[in-house]
Amino acid sequence: MKLKKIYICSFRNIEKAEIYPDDKFNLIVGNNAQGKTNFLESIYLLGTMKSFRLARNPELIKYGNPFAIVRGLVDNEEVLQEISLSIENAGKKVRINGKPVTQIADFFGCLSMVVFSPEDLAMVRGLPDLRRKYLDRAIFSSDISYLSLHQEFHRILKNRNNLLKREDRNGLDTWTERLAETGARLVVKRVSYIQKITKLLTDFYAIISGHHEQAEVIYRSEVMKKDGTAGSAEEVRLSMLELLHKNASDENRRGLTLTGPHRDDINFSINGKSLKFHGSQGEQRSFILALKMAEIEYIKKLNGNPPILLLDDMTSELDMDRNNNFMEFLKIKDMQVFITTTSLDNITLSGIQNYKVFPVRGGTILQ
Amino acid sequence: MIYLSKSLTKLIGELKKLPGVGEKTALRLALHLLKSPANGTALAESLREVQNSVRFCSTCYAITEDDPCYICSGSRDATAICVVEEPQDLMAIERSGAFKGRYHVLHGALSPLNGVMPGNLRINQLLERLRGGMVKEVLLATNFSVEGEATALYLTKLIKPLGIKLTRLAYGIPLGSDLEYVDTATVQKAVEGRNIL
Ligand SMILES: [Zn+2]
Repeated sequence: MKLKKIYICSFRNIEKAEIYPDDKFNLIVGNNAQGKTNFLESIYLLGTMKSFRLARNPELIKYGNPFAIVRGLVDNEEVLQEISLSIENAGKKVRINGKPVTQIADFFGCLSMVVFSPEDLAMVRGLPDLRRKYLDRAIFSSDISYLSLHQEFHRILKNRNNLLKREDRNGLDTWTERLAETGARLVVKRVSYIQKITKLLTDFYAIISGHHEQAEVIYRSEVMKKDGTAGSAEEVRLSMLELLHKNASDENRRGLTLTGPHRDDINFSINGKSLKFHGSQGEQRSFILALKMAEIEYIKKLNGNPPILLLDDMTSELDMDRNNNFMEFLKIKDMQVFITTTSLDNITLSGIQNYKVFPVRGGTILQ
Repeated sequence: MIYLSKSLTKLIGELKKLPGVGEKTALRLALHLLKSPANGTALAESLREVQNSVRFCSTCYAITEDDPCYICSGSRDATAICVVEEPQDLMAIERSGAFKGRYHVLHGALSPLNGVMPGNLRINQLLERLRGGMVKEVLLATNFSVEGEATALYLTKLIKPLGIKLTRLAYGIPLGSDLEYVDTATVQKAVEGRNIL
């Protein structure tokens, strides 16, 4: 998958830009707050309709303008498609080849991508919420049905939490059953994704770190069996229901749903020891890089060709060896990569012939 | 907004309360009515008429002028009841022509988030109808949204013990969508292929 052309209008601090990226490496260089990440974010929006910085629509529109436009020409196995996104305060509209898209499934997969930003490193030691968001986003980029299931679960959860805060709790059983049913399907999808990723992870960890150690992602949930598996959706549903009943008095007191995928977590481990508590900074970085490589490889296996990779300000976070190993991986992958950096010195360009540099200053992207 | 006149400002204010009408549309509508007094008078009269004559059927809670409504008082199959969220859902199923029984309009769906509890819906009235003993089948035709599904499940729990056959609209209606916006052929298929709960 290659982005051949990007047109941006009134997006964040970018007034207007028309860019023809290289098929391999694209280096977006500039000082902080000039618009580098905005450029990257506009590409991410084209593929997902979402901001990786979780921004609301009004924040995406350049001040004083009624709307923003991002348009991209995508080459997918030599089939060209134009994705056009218009952002207004009230919502976003997508057209593909000029035709309005009404169902998310039609839009999805036209431009698949993987992002790697400094927040990905923060998630190792951060709150569980960061890791859940990472996992949900990763699954979403390879499974369309996950998004609607995720939305359904969270709407049920909100209704149930609201009910738990009321005096009148008529109908609670209904919401409990719906929660367990959708929650179980969500857990099963998460566990199955982790299984597939973990298979690829150890190999990539060895490439990055130079050490042959067992790298694992482990799903942490009260509903998991003792042997670490989840079982079928029906088994998960039943154990979730059991836990919900067991915790009923706690839930009533706190007015909160205490069991479900919204409380689960993932652990990263190397040779059985938790990365969160025992890993060195170097190990943590290697792990996250390997995790991203596994994510890329998985999407490639699924779609037949690799996604686009967006690297936000990553290179400065890595030491030279890891940096080189990662660049080597990218070179052989025939992937289109967009990298933002404050200085070209941060990036190992030796052996790379095909690249373009885009300096960014005050919202203007130069070619 | 520029001040025009007290009564015109009031009219614009009232129009703006209507769903889908914003400031600009309200102004355009108000000026249009002002320019063609005949239209305005006719509209005012029909509004008054609607408010005086239209009510909810005391049996099924559909919109009607006569109580009971033409469906409840006619010769339609009284052993089957189709439960819908809103009057417009009843209209969507009627347009499909696939259902020969009678209806019950809940006037909403369960949604604690929006402050809709079972007591806010016409659920007790439905149960009362069912206890009459005439009804052999209840078709749950609430929307395939989170709230519609929860309402269907809630009703299932209440109705099952009564020993009445319960069915749910077949899928085919896009997930998460409102019945009102689904095309007639799809509604027809969903009614005909309904699943037993
Ligand atoms: Zn009636």
